[in-house]
Amino acid sequence: MSQFNNIIRLSFRDYSHEWRMSGCFILALASVLAPMMILFGLKFGIVTTMVAELVENPSNREIKPVGSGRYDDAWIDRMRNRDDVAFIIPRTRSLAATIQLKSTSAKRILSTELLATASGDPLLAGSSRLPQNYFEVILSKSAADKLEVKVGEEIDASLARQFHGKRERVHLPLEVIGIAGAGVISRNVAFVNLDLLIASEQFKDGRAVPELGWRGDSENLGQRIYPSFRLYARSIYDVAGLVDELESEGSRVKANVAEISTVQSIDQNLSVIFWIIACVGATGFAFSLGASLWANVDRKRKDLSVLRLVGFKSGRIVLFPVLQSCYTALLGWLLAVLVYLVFEYLINFFLAPKLNLDRTLCFLLVEHFLWALCLTVVIAVSAAILGGLRAARIQPSDGLRDL
Amino acid sequence: MTIVYSLRGVVKERLIDGVGFRLLVPKIQIRAEENIALIGHSGCGKSTLLDMLALVLRPDQSEDMSLHPVKGDNHDIAELWRRNRFSELSQIRKQHIGYVLQSGGLLPYLTVRENIELPRRLLKLPDDDSITSISKVLGISRQLDKLPGLLSAGERQRAAFARALSHRPSILIADEPTASLDPITAHKIMAVVMEVIRGLKITLITASHDWAHVYKMELRTLKQEAMAVEDGRVYQSTFSD
Repeated sequence: MSQFNNIIRLSFRDYSHEWRMSGCFILALASVLAPMMILFGLKFGIVTTMVAELVENPSNREIKPVGSGRYDDAWIDRMRNRDDVAFIIPRTRSLAATIQLKSTSAKRILSTELLATASGDPLLAGSSRLPQNYFEVILSKSAADKLEVKVGEEIDASLARQFHGKRERVHLPLEVIGIAGAGVISRNVAFVNLDLLIASEQFKDGRAVPELGWRGDSENLGQRIYPSFRLYARSIYDVAGLVDELESEGSRVKANVAEISTVQSIDQNLSVIFWIIACVGATGFAFSLGASLWANVDRKRKDLSVLRLVGFKSGRIVLFPVLQSCYTALLGWLLAVLVYLVFEYLINFFLAPKLNLDRTLCFLLVEHFLWALCLTVVIAVSAAILGGLRAARIQPSDGLRDL
Repeated sequence: MTIVYSLRGVVKERLIDGVGFRLLVPKIQIRAEENIALIGHSGCGKSTLLDMLALVLRPDQSEDMSLHPVKGDNHDIAELWRRNRFSELSQIRKQHIGYVLQSGGLLPYLTVRENIELPRRLLKLPDDDSITSISKVLGISRQLDKLPGLLSAGERQRAAFARALSHRPSILIADEPTASLDPITAHKIMAVVMEVIRGLKITLITASHDWAHVYKMELRTLKQEAMAVEDGRVYQSTFSD
């Protein structure tokens, strides 16, 4: 067996032999680490769930134009290609983006808002199919309920206009290929292909839509200009920057910037508070452990001298307090994790409901536990190396007379 | 008889309890299988000399310090200290020297058996019945699985001798090994130890501050040689009746 294995065995035997002293070290460590973990668990739990709620709801990432603007295809494409933009699609005038829907099951005709959709639409993230042509539609839950339709059924869509003094109405059969979830949008909305949205506007403006056989004026208006758009930022952290940029371009937009900045501010402030407490705690712990190990080397002077006497080299002697410090770090961390888990349970199951919070108030990820372990070992070993170097400097003869 | 250890012009200066102390070893020679009694009053430097002989204390000056533990195996200890060859010194100490301290120096967290086995483990010597046999001879075979804290002072010293002898060193150094024992127990232990040492052909260097005790209990019966430490100087002379 090598000297290294021997020193591991001996340091552990000594550590377990002096279990009262070792237990005190473990308790001392856990009493510093566990509160820090609970504090971080609370900070992380509160902020993460708040951020998650913001992120999960796409409307928090939506940047809405206020009033009408003038946006061409080139501008839309430029925005689409930005890294901070998750999705953008043009909107037509509100009045032109309304369609009447009728099903065979429901008696009423439902006036429904048309929204263009395409691949990557955050509102329809869960949909397996998206409208690919003029004849497919995804209904909002509200619209589907009122029309009493299910996926796969066909409904009748109609558009009306005044054209050359006469009232005209066109009909279009639409297949319901999906129904958006209840939480996505509360209004009566029909998600359609962009071509149908544009066709609707063209028809209402009195122009022809040859692809659908709708007659009307056929003059070419040149480049298409959209008055609005539907835009979602990549993350809530991109919203403020995009808003600033759009406003600097002259667009008037609105977004949930205030709510997002509140969460960011809470995150930053809690992080600062946490790190101040963590640094003070860790420094105190490092000094306390370092001092204890320093004193421990003095206490073990005779035993370490005997180890040198029987033939252990200085380098191996350094390992003796360092290894014992690792045992303390590992066991102290384990105890702190156990204490943390108990408090996490108590906070989430007893305190959170009392605060009327319908979410997890305190939690940590596996990587947080591992980070805590790494930091603990690093601090403990750094402190122990001081003691270890002192141990290595002990001449074998120095401690023998203390015996 | 073959010389196993020779020292000439060795000097060690130490500061003990704030008081300067200088030990000079003009010349000593230790022969194989010889039993040397190192005699002197408390604080005269016996332990300092023993520590230097055991390679756990570096001399400040040394014209010659040579160890020849077995035939053909020569170590220039003075040169090794000068060149800071601590690893080699540690290896020589581990292999050839056994050291018994006044209080035994057993590690409290290991059983008696594990304490005795430790030098053998470090030398990677194979497990054999040597631990059992030496424990039997020294009368501690029933204490092998106990922790040192549960032994009497006499049993602890026997265990300390067993550990120092377990790897069959060439030289056994004992620093007042019976000082904390009553005379009868001390005599019994030393008698057994001497028997073992004779059997294993080991050179013994033992320190004592009690002339009368040495004379009556040890030297006279074993016909040893003596070295005296006085006024910081080591004298070697043959002891006679």
